[in-house]
This record gives sequence, structure tokens and C-alpha cells, in this order.
Amino acid sequence: MANLIFYVMALVAVVAALGVVSARNPMMSILALLTSFFALATIYLLAGFQTLAAVQILVYAGAILVLFLFVIMLLNLADVKPLARIDLVLFHERKAIWTMLVAGSLLGIGAFVALQAVPVVAASAPALPDQGIDGLQALADAMFSRYLLPFEAVSVLLLATAVAVLVLAKRKRGGAR
Amino acid sequence: MSVPPSHLFVVAALLFSIGAAGFFLRRNVIVVLMCIELMLNAANLSFLAASRMHTLAHGGQPDLQGPIFALFVIVIAAVEAAVGLALVIALYRNKQTVSLDEVAELKD
Repeated sequence: MANLIFYVMALVAVVAALGVVSARNPMMSILALLTSFFALATIYLLAGFQTLAAVQILVYAGAILVLFLFVIMLLNLADVKPLARIDLVLFHERKAIWTMLVAGSLLGIGAFVALQAVPVVAASAPALPDQGIDGLQALADAMFSRYLLPFEAVSVLLLATAVAVLVLAKRKRGGAR
Repeated sequence: MSVPPSHLFVVAALLFSIGAAGFFLRRNVIVVLMCIELMLNAANLSFLAASRMHTLAHGGQPDLQGPIFALFVIVIAAVEAAVGLALVIALYRNKQTVSLDEVAELKD
């Protein structure tokens, strides 16, 4: 049963990802991306990563996608028709063929490595721990002991980002309005 | 769930290549940023698949490197989205467009 749900969710995630790339309206892309993220969160849950599934929904669906949605609504892009037309024309260019070729070979390499080089261990799968692989306490213990330095580096990065975004999005002093 | 880890990697490869194709094909800056998010998610999925594989191989002893890296990738994705969208807003304010074709001054 869990296997069936995994394959259904994998299909949903991939189809939604195709929707992100092919939708004409950016709003539709956002909704497709949301679907893809939820399907991925389900996959995380099935694979034994409860905390990461929660973080995926909280941070990605809750924060990042809302940021995208906010910008699209702020710029009122939902009904920019000429842009959509330009976008669609590009699918017929010669560049599109090369892109498909590159993406296809990426997929081919990835699938080949996954199917050939990854050892098959699931056949006699031992049970996963009850609290999943990423129990919150174990995760926190690792984060604040062994990975403390990267954690601090990330906090500096977040601070720098806050300043950078402020500088980028602020109007020039004495500029228009 | 008893899906072999390789199938998780295949899903990650699919998502990554779709995101890469969209990155090169689309001309709307916001959709390009979304494709980057898609690729980062594929990277996350393969981190977690590797972690699951190692956990299973070591008899259920949790392997935490995958989840920790995935958390860091999520933070980087949030940072990237924030800076990217601030750039989009600045671009729209200065040129009233979000099409990458109309901001190719560095090319010509």
C-alpha cells in the first residue's frame, strides 16, 4: 500500500513539475509547484523523514511560495498576455532542441547511475527506527554539536540576505515618488 | 514502504531535468526562479534517498547527514528566492518587464 502511494505521489510530483515548466500563466506555475511540493512532502514522510516533511510544507509551501505569490500579485503579472506568447514561441526555437537534449542526457545519466550503481538493500529491508530517520531530538543534537559551525554560517548568511534584500528592493532616495 | 532507493533517485533525476529544461526554456524571470526551486528540491530528494539507503544498510542506525544537508539546502533556497524576487522587483521598477529577453544589455 505504501509503495502504491509512493508511486502515485512520484507521478503527481513529476506531472506537476511539467506543469510548472509549461504553464503560460505564472499563477498556474505557482499552483503546480505547490502540488509538486506537497507530493514531495508525502514522499519524504513515506521514506521515514517526518521532520523534513513538516519543514518542507512549513518553509516551502508556507513561506517561499507565498513570497512568489506575493511578488506576482504585487507586479500584477497574472494577465500579461504578450509575455505568455513570447514564452510559448520559444518552445519552437532551435535552442529548445538543445535544451531538451541536455535535460534528457542529465536524466539519462541520473537514471543510469541510480539504477546501476545504487546497491539494492531494500529487498531484505530492516525496520526503520520508530521515530523515523530524522527524529527531532537526534536532528537537533547533530545540528548543535557536529554541525554548529555551518549552522552559524547560515545565520550570518540570513542576516546578509535580509540586508541585501532591503538594499535591492528599497526605492532610491529622492527617486520617483 | 519497501521501494528500492534507486527509484527515489530516478524521481530526483526526473525532477532535476525538468527543472533544468524549464530554466533554459522559459523567459519569465519568476518562472525561471521557480525552476531553480524545483532543481533544489530534486537535490533534497536525493540527499534524503541517500540517507535512507545508508540507514537501511546499517540496520536501522539513523544516518543524519542527509536530513541535515537537506535542511541547509532549504535555507539556501529561501535565501535565493528572497534575493531573486528582490531583483525581480527592482527590475520591474526600472524597466516594467520581467522578460529575460528584454534585459540582455550585457550580451550586446
